[in-house]
Amino acid sequence: MMDSSVKIINEWDIVAARQLGRNVAKELGFGTVDQARITTAISELARNIYLYAGQGEITIEKIENEAKKGIIIISRDAGPGISDLRKVMEDGFSTSGGLGAGLPGVKRLMDEFSIESDPRKGTLIQSVKWLR
Amino acid sequence: MRKTIYQYVYSHNDEILNEWIELIRKEADERAIQTMSDRMFVKTCAEFVELVISNFSESVEAFHDRAIEFSEKIVRLGWPLTMMTDGLRLFGQIVEEGMKKEGNIDHNSYVDFASEINNWIFPMYKTITQAYTTSWERTVSLQKIALQELTAPFIPIFDKISVMPLIGTIDTERAKQIMENLLEGVVSHRAEVVLIDITGVPVVDTMVAHHIIQAAEAVRLVGAKCTIVGIRPEIAQTIVNLGINLEDVTTTSTLKKGVEQALTLTSRKIVEVQE
Amino acid sequence: MNMRIPILKLHDCLLVSIQWELDDQTALQFQEDLLHKIHETSARGVVIDFTSIDFIDSFIAKVLGDVISMSRLMGAKVVITGIQPAVAITLIELGIHLEEVITALDLEKGLEKLQRELGD
Repeated sequence: MMDSSVKIINEWDIVAARQLGRNVAKELGFGTVDQARITTAISELARNIYLYAGQGEITIEKIENEAKKGIIIISRDAGPGISDLRKVMEDGFSTSGGLGAGLPGVKRLMDEFSIESDPRKGTLIQSVKWLR
Repeated sequence: MRKTIYQYVYSHNDEILNEWIELIRKEADERAIQTMSDRMFVKTCAEFVELVISNFSESVEAFHDRAIEFSEKIVRLGWPLTMMTDGLRLFGQIVEEGMKKEGNIDHNSYVDFASEINNWIFPMYKTITQAYTTSWERTVSLQKIALQELTAPFIPIFDKISVMPLIGTIDTERAKQIMENLLEGVVSHRAEVVLIDITGVPVVDTMVAHHIIQAAEAVRLVGAKCTIVGIRPEIAQTIVNLGINLEDVTTTSTLKKGVEQALTLTSRKIVEVQE
Repeated sequence: MNMRIPILKLHDCLLVSIQWELDDQTALQFQEDLLHKIHETSARGVVIDFTSIDFIDSFIAKVLGDVISMSRLMGAKVVITGIQPAVAITLIELGIHLEEVITALDLEKGLEKLQRELGD
């Protein structure tokens, strides 16, 4: 059994998280384009944890409802939280001097996306990609 | 009471059917009736009434199977679901009135009758609605697959030059499929220039324009050039009014011009051969 | 632990083929190595091939965009080749356009394009 969670503490953990995501996506039967979308989304989320929260966890699981199968990526951290959720979801907003692709980019890559953030508790992001 | 109803329905089969057909013709959606011949209509009605009556005599499973079979047929014919639910309601009405006329029900037995007919008709509602929606959903998903297969063929027309004609409305899901076909095509056919023909796209709104531009940018990333051809005047207007930047994408009005440009881009031209 | 990406010299051009998934350190190391190599060899052009890479996230894209701008400052043109369809689609959806980057289908076409750009 493969562990479905990866603790994100240093840069190498980002690689481990996307490796895990790629394997699960492949196993579920996602095509190459969706595999790339999922791997990239995980990489972005894991990097956000590393850059802003210091540490946290990425969980990758298979999900299923009556009609379809998919993969869910859960990103959890106890960092400083995000004070203005609307702002981080705007294209081009970045605090780290990156390309500003960040969260809106992840949202576009995946089918479902939700974010909860509390300055005292940290940030929880859940994102789903359904198998077509 | 159930037995009385059954006996009445069974012995007045033809009258009920005729009356039912007349009522449904009056009440039903005209479009549904116009799509088929009169004979077909009467035949389908008869089948429906037969199905309803069979509920008396057959087991739950057998009725269920029959309902599914009939629903599939109805979906194919394009009858709306309301036709079936209204049909059931009318059927109940006809039986009630007929039995009143014959003196089978009076004030005393009416409550009995009403509860019996409800017990009879409600499970049927459920079964028929369920069967109908199931067949409907299946039809929709089959059509979706058919549409996907139809999506955007990638056609190499010369060495290094390919065309992808887009036809019909483009939604987000189709746009993704088109983008994948396009890029796979460019890479596997080693196309240097690809012409996306949007002559067959009826409406180019913000979203469609956005998808087309994204496709063109992705083509550039894999290492080819993309030209959008078939830009009609109203599409040119939309693009400019939306303030969309088309700097990296060349565009022309017709496929013919696009092919000429593509030949120039790949340092070739077509010459007439003189005998 | 650190893998270095080999940079080959061909006449006045540099050839790089990225064979493994890039982690952050390797990407940054590559940036440094390439700039040094350009300086050392006075190369006028660089071709970077991505055929074996199955995903690029915003960080790697940024490092890549930066190294292209930096190379240009040092007088070397960069051509990117072999970006896979899946990678192109994810980059576009992420909102990364890598404008002004010269691209080609494969290494061979990339070299041709570079020669043309350099005006030989």
